[in-house]
Amino acid sequence: MDSKPYIDANQDTVVGDKTIRQICLECWEEVRIEYSKTGSFFGPKLKGINHLQVGDSSLIDSPLTIFIEKMLALYIRFSDAMYKLKRKLFPKKMLLHGSKKDCRLVGNLTFAEREDIQVPVHHMELIFWGRTRLGQWKMLSAGYSDEEGKFDLPFDLRAACSWRFRKLIFEINQISHVYYEEVNAKPHFVTFRQIPVPKGDLIGMSYNLRNIQLYLWEYRRDIPLPRVMIKDHNKDAPQYYSKARENAIKAQFIPIELTKLKHAEIIKVDPDKLSIELIQADYPKNLTVAIEEKIPGYTRSDDWFAFRFMNGMNNATYLPDPADPDLSWIYIYGSLQYKVNDQYAFPSVGVQCKMSDKGIPMPIAIELTGPISAWDKNPYQKHRFTPEQPDQWLHAKRAVRVSAALSSELDDHFAGTHVNTEQYAVAAYRNLRLSPVANLLFPHLKEVVLVNKTADEILIGPGYIPSASAMTAHGIVDRCVDVMGALNWKDWTPMRPLSDNHYYALAENLFWEVVGEYVDEFFVEYQDRIIKYWHEVYCFSEDLVNHSVPVFQSKRLNDENDPERTREAYYAERYRFNPNHPRRSVKGQLRAVSPITENKIYDPASDDWNQLKHACKYAIMIATFMHTWVNEHQYEDIGEVKYSSLGLRFGEKPEGIILPESDTSISPDLLRSTQMMWFSNLLSRTEFGFITRDEEGDINPLFKARLMEHKEVFLKYGIRVEDIESRTNI
Amino acid sequence: METASPNRAIHTEKTERNKFFGTWLGEKRDLLVLWLTAKLTGVMIALMYSVKRKKRMSHDNGISGIGTVHMVENQSFPPHEFFAPGKSYPIRIRHASATFLDDAMNCIRSMSVKFSHEEFRSPFDLEMNTGPIGLFWSAASFLQFAALRKQDYGIEYKDYYRKYPEGLVGAQVSLRRNPFSFTNLQFYCQTPFLYKGTDGLKRYAKYRVIPFDDEPETGIQTDMSEWDTCNQRILPDEARGRNYLKYEYVDRINQYGAKYRFQLQVHPSSEPDDPEVFNCMKLWDEHLYPWNDLGIIHITKVLSWEDSCRSSFSVGNMPKTLGILPAKSLYDYNSLNYLRMHAEVARKWRLFRYKFGGPPPPVPDNDNRNQGDWEQPS
Repeated sequence: MDSKPYIDANQDTVVGDKTIRQICLECWEEVRIEYSKTGSFFGPKLKGINHLQVGDSSLIDSPLTIFIEKMLALYIRFSDAMYKLKRKLFPKKMLLHGSKKDCRLVGNLTFAEREDIQVPVHHMELIFWGRTRLGQWKMLSAGYSDEEGKFDLPFDLRAACSWRFRKLIFEINQISHVYYEEVNAKPHFVTFRQIPVPKGDLIGMSYNLRNIQLYLWEYRRDIPLPRVMIKDHNKDAPQYYSKARENAIKAQFIPIELTKLKHAEIIKVDPDKLSIELIQADYPKNLTVAIEEKIPGYTRSDDWFAFRFMNGMNNATYLPDPADPDLSWIYIYGSLQYKVNDQYAFPSVGVQCKMSDKGIPMPIAIELTGPISAWDKNPYQKHRFTPEQPDQWLHAKRAVRVSAALSSELDDHFAGTHVNTEQYAVAAYRNLRLSPVANLLFPHLKEVVLVNKTADEILIGPGYIPSASAMTAHGIVDRCVDVMGALNWKDWTPMRPLSDNHYYALAENLFWEVVGEYVDEFFVEYQDRIIKYWHEVYCFSEDLVNHSVPVFQSKRLNDENDPERTREAYYAERYRFNPNHPRRSVKGQLRAVSPITENKIYDPASDDWNQLKHACKYAIMIATFMHTWVNEHQYEDIGEVKYSSLGLRFGEKPEGIILPESDTSISPDLLRSTQMMWFSNLLSRTEFGFITRDEEGDINPLFKARLMEHKEVFLKYGIRVEDIESRTNI
Repeated sequence: METASPNRAIHTEKTERNKFFGTWLGEKRDLLVLWLTAKLTGVMIALMYSVKRKKRMSHDNGISGIGTVHMVENQSFPPHEFFAPGKSYPIRIRHASATFLDDAMNCIRSMSVKFSHEEFRSPFDLEMNTGPIGLFWSAASFLQFAALRKQDYGIEYKDYYRKYPEGLVGAQVSLRRNPFSFTNLQFYCQTPFLYKGTDGLKRYAKYRVIPFDDEPETGIQTDMSEWDTCNQRILPDEARGRNYLKYEYVDRINQYGAKYRFQLQVHPSSEPDDPEVFNCMKLWDEHLYPWNDLGIIHITKVLSWEDSCRSSFSVGNMPKTLGILPAKSLYDYNSLNYLRMHAEVARKWRLFRYKFGGPPPPVPDNDNRNQGDWEQPS
C-alpha cells in the first residue's frame, strides 16, 4: 500500500515548471518497481522465503549448482506430479463405506506440550480409513472430537476387517486454509497425523486409541511472548506458505539479493571501492531519493518532516502540550532501560509541534533524552534543538527520524502488528474449527507465524537489527513484551484525525468502518453456528488471555527527565491502551488482553456477542491495514540510508549523532548500509496476498466488495485499495 | 447423507452386494472360520493346559458341593417343562477363583451349576461368574483376551484393558477382592441362551444365582483405576491365607449348608433380532425383563479337592429347548458359547490326564502368594 505523497504545506510552490505536489506524484509513480517474473535457465535462484538471511540467503549463482538445482527442481516437480497422480488415482472420497455401526474407535485428543497435556483438542476432524490392497481409500467412519477432546467413531466391524483392506488408518485432520467459492467458505483440510490401527485388534465393541497428544500450534515457552513453536519451518511448521507466495518472493527478490551479495563481496575485497552513495545507487530508487533528485533538500525540510511524521511509516500520535493547548508533542521512546550496545545511539525523542494552517503539526522544537555521543552516557541528559540553530536542527531531525524508524520498526511493526497478529493467530488456529469465526479470521491470520519465525532469524537475534542499531536481541524481546502489554482489542478505535490532511487517520477510520460492516454482516449471516460452537470462542478467548503478556506498567520513574513518565499516557493515546479495562490475572500477573467471553455457552444477556465482533474486527484490522501501512512505508521512510536508518553510531566526536549526513562515521557502515537497503526492499517490495486481488481465492467476496465500494475515498487519502494486504506475511 | 462436521458433507456409499458372493458365500466362509477357530482353540487349550499341566484354562482354584435344587411353585416367567413348578433335581456346584491359586487375590469368582451329582453328565449345566457383564463378548474378543493376558506376578491384561474399554469395565464390575464368602456373591451367566417354553415360542434367557437371604454382596470395589484392575495381587500385609475362601465354604456347609436363589431373565425374540440382544456386555432392561425366581439351591455337602477337580461343566449339557444359540461368525456375540462348547476336548483330555497321577495337588497354605500355577518341585 503506497500512499501518495500529497503535500499540503507548500504544495503549490513551483519548482521549475511544476508544483511540488506534481513532482512528488511523479516521483511516487517513478519509484514503483515492477519485477520481471521470468528468469533464464541459468539465472540465479532463491531457495525460498524460509532461506532468507541477512548474510547469504542461499542464493545459487554457480552454473553447475544451478544446473543441479534445476535437476533437483525437476525431480521435485516429478515427485509432486506423481503425488498428484496418486491423489487422483486414489482419491479420499467422503463416502461412507459399510452399512452397520457395530464397533467404535474411541479415545481423546489433548495438546502435547507439557503444560497443555490436560487441555483437550476439541472439534478436530477425524476420519477412519481403510486402504484396499489396490490402494483405494475407503472411508469407514468420520467425525470430530467433542468439547472434551473425546471421540467416538462408529464403524462397520465386518467391513473394516474385510480381507480387501491392506491397512486401516485413523487420520486426524486440521484446517490448513479457508477458501471461498462465491460467499461460501470451503475449509481445506490437511492430514495432521495418521495412526495405523491393527486390523487384528478390532474385535467389536470399542477399540481405544487412548490419549493422543498432538503437537498442534504449541506455544513457545522460551520467550515471554505469545508465539508459536516452530523448530524448522520447512518441516514441522504448523502451516506452510502457498506455492504462489513462494514464487512471488523468488521473482521479486532475486535482484535485491544479488545486489546485496555483490556489495558484501566488494566490502570483503576492497571496501574503498564502495560508498553509501554507490550502495544507494545500486538499489531501486526510493521516494526520498527520487524527490531529492528533483527538489534537492526538500525531503530534509520541516514540511516534509511534518508530513511524513503525520502520514508516513511512523504515523505519529500527538499528545497535547500540558502548558500550551496550541502545541502538541510527539514522543518516541528510545533505549530506556532496555539492553543496548555501546555503538549506536537510541535517544528518546520529544518533538514539540504547532498546528499549521493546513492542519499539519509543524515541528518547533526537538528534545533528545539519553546519550547522543560516546562521551556522555547519562541516560537522563536532555538536549533541546530549535529551528533557530539551523545546522543542529537539521541534524537533530535526522536523529529523530532514525529513532522514530527504529521505534516504528520494533513497536508498531514487529510488536504492534506481527507479534500482535500472531497471538490471535495461535489462539485461533488452536481453537477455531467448526465455528464460522474460523472462516472469518483464518484468511487474515495465516502465514504470520511463518514470517515471524523468519523475522526472528534475520531481524532479531542474531539478525540485522541488533547489529545495526542500539537494541540487543534481549532488549528487543523485552521492549516487545512492554509494547504488547499495551495492546488490547477491547474498545480499540482508530486514530482520531487531526485535520483533513491527516490521511493516515482518515484512512484508518475508513478501513475500520469497512471491516466493521463486513464483520457485522458476517455475524448476522452465521449467527446460529457461531452460537452453536461458542465453546470454541470461549477456548479462543482463554488461550488469548492466558498467553498474553503482562499488562504494561511504567518501570522506572526515578528522574524527572525520564521519558518513561509520559509513556503510559502516550500508549493510552497511541494504542488506545486503557489500564482500567477488565483483565484477568494469570500466574500472578495481570494480562494485557481482556477476555472476549467468560461463558462456555453463549449467554445472550452478556455483551459477549459484541465483544467477539470487536475482537475479530481488531484482529483483521491489525493483520491487514495496520501491518500494510507500516510495512509498505518502510521503503519510503527508511529506503535511503543517509535520510534515515535504524541506527546512528555514536562516532568519536563530542557532537555525537548531531552531525551532518556527510559524516559517515555516524552513519551505518557499508555492510549495514547495504543490508539496510536489502532489508527495506525485502519488507516493502515482496508482498503477496492482497484483499481485492485475492490471488488465492481466500477472501470473502463480501469484504472485497465492501472495500471496493470505498475505492475512490481511499484513493483520495492516497491509498490504492488493491495494495492493501489480506494478511501479515512479510 | 450424514454430516460429520459442518465443514464437510459425508455421503453413505450405496452398496448392492452380490447375493451369492457377498452374502451366502460370505456366511459359509464365516461359519467355516468359526468352526476351525473353535476346534483349534479347543485343541490348543487341551495341549497347553490339559495334557501338559492337568489344568483347566482358568478356574483351577475351586471347591465343589452337592445338594438339591427345587423349582419354585409360583413362577412368573413363561412355563418350561424342564423348570416345572415344584420339580427337584440333584445339584452339583463348583465355586472357583479365576485364574490364580490364591483366594486373597483380586479375582473373578465363579459358580458352575450342574443339575446332577455326576462329575460331568447332567441334563443342565451353567457356568457363571461374578459381575453382570463379561470381559469379552465374542470368540474374537476372547481370543484377543487370551492373547493379551501377559501375566506377570499377579498383574495381567494391561494391554487388553488399554485397548478395550468395555473389557476394562467388565473386569472392574466382575473382580471381587476378599469377599466374605462364596455364598454372598452374585453370579451371572452373562450370555443369553435359548428359552423355548411349553408355548413353543422362541425366547432368550439369562440366568443368575444370588444369595438366598439377599445378603449384600461383598468384595465389590469402587473407583478402580486401570492399574488397580490389572493388579490382582494380594494387598500388602494380607492376613488371609491362600485358601481362606474355600475353608470358609467348607465350614459354612458343614455347619449350616448354603442356600442360593436361582433366577432367570426372559427376553422375547423378534425377527430379525437386534444383535445387541445377545451382547453379554449389555444388560437387558430389568424393568422390561425382570429377574424371576426359578429355583432354590440348597448345598448340603462339600466335596473333596479331588472330586472338586473332577467336577466338569459344559454349556452343551442342556435340553434342546434351553441350549446355546447359533453363532454366525467369530464376531457374533453368540460365538462365545459356541467356543465354550467346542472346548470339550480340553475337558476330556484333562480328565484323561487325571488317570495318570491323579488331579493336581490342593493349593498349599504357604506364603508363595500371587501364584497362577502350582509350584514345580525344585
